[in-house]
Amino acid sequence: MQSLVTRSAASTWRSSSVRTFASSAARSQAVPTEKPVLQKEFKIYRWNPDEPAKKPTLQSYTIDLNQTGPMILDALIKIKNEIDPTLTFRRSCREGICGSCAMNINGQNTLACLCRIDRNPSKDTKIYPLPHMYIVKDLVPDLTNFYKQYKSIEPYLKNDNPPVGREFLQSQEDRKKLDGMYECILCACCSTSCPSYWWNQDEYLGPATLMAAYRWMADSRDSYTAQRKEKLQNEMSLYRCHTIFNCARTCPKGLNPAKAIAHIKMELAAD
Amino acid sequence: MPVTHSGLQKDVFALYRRALRMARTKPPQTQSKFRLFVRYNFKTQASAMSPRDVSAIEHLLRKGKRQVEMYEDPAVRDCWVSQAMQEWDANDRKSRRSLGVQS
Repeated sequence: MQSLVTRSAASTWRSSSVRTFASSAARSQAVPTEKPVLQKEFKIYRWNPDEPAKKPTLQSYTIDLNQTGPMILDALIKIKNEIDPTLTFRRSCREGICGSCAMNINGQNTLACLCRIDRNPSKDTKIYPLPHMYIVKDLVPDLTNFYKQYKSIEPYLKNDNPPVGREFLQSQEDRKKLDGMYECILCACCSTSCPSYWWNQDEYLGPATLMAAYRWMADSRDSYTAQRKEKLQNEMSLYRCHTIFNCARTCPKGLNPAKAIAHIKMELAAD
Repeated sequence: MPVTHSGLQKDVFALYRRALRMARTKPPQTQSKFRLFVRYNFKTQASAMSPRDVSAIEHLLRKGKRQVEMYEDPAVRDCWVSQAMQEWDANDRKSRRSLGVQS
């Protein structure tokens, strides 16, 4: 009995010398309760360009949601790390500011890093690349054409007489006109959700590019508004928009490209 | 009777011609390298592909177009020729020479 007491005293002393946040010896020995296993199935579009003759397939992965972060991107990264390192997708900032991880999740274009996992284990989650785009591999679409279109609208300030030796000032009202447009991160979710863009990708500019175009038209410091308008004055570039509003519905940043397009149409009509 | 080609075949020929033209714009010392690079990539991939596999051919066309666009940049003045390409070239020459002897 004596020896037992001394031994427990010694162990208490030893454990208290280790700095822990537990308030008592009994607390420090408590085992944290294990979370229950919550298996969920993810069905992911797979296609490998090294075997171009093979058809694309849906591959199924099952992971434990309680060992995963809350977002789809966390699940994808977990699958890539632990189950299948050949799974390919773009990702960068994991907080919805870079627009790399745009994909079609359960039928909705969105950013994987901003989309919560549906925690209902009986339903599977389907993940596809952005619709109607050429695929580079798995979930990576070819955005070359999208970027080319963005480049074609000259998305930068054009002014022949900028003020010399001082800042280029703008009134607060003028600055407010750009709110809701400058936040666009060019994730291509809106353009690839637009049926008009699906059928006329080569000529119709698409909501993302048109909103960027209007962002520069609305800028009080830009002096090339007339030329910018002139460029859109044709059948295809702008007027393929039939106000379907898929762009506004899908935008993961909550912007409204359809409104910007409506503004352009109004300004062109007023000319 | 003239041979008729499908649209897809014409697209492939157009890309091949464009690639060979690209090789001609390069400095004379490296032109043969570019030509070998273009021929090797076309012939090996064409022989690996079924002519009925339209979607796969379209994919390779898009990939090729992007690659040629990059190589057309005048800043590109030389290209890498791998061991496999040289071996393929030697074999190709040999087989063509033997065909020439027979006919």
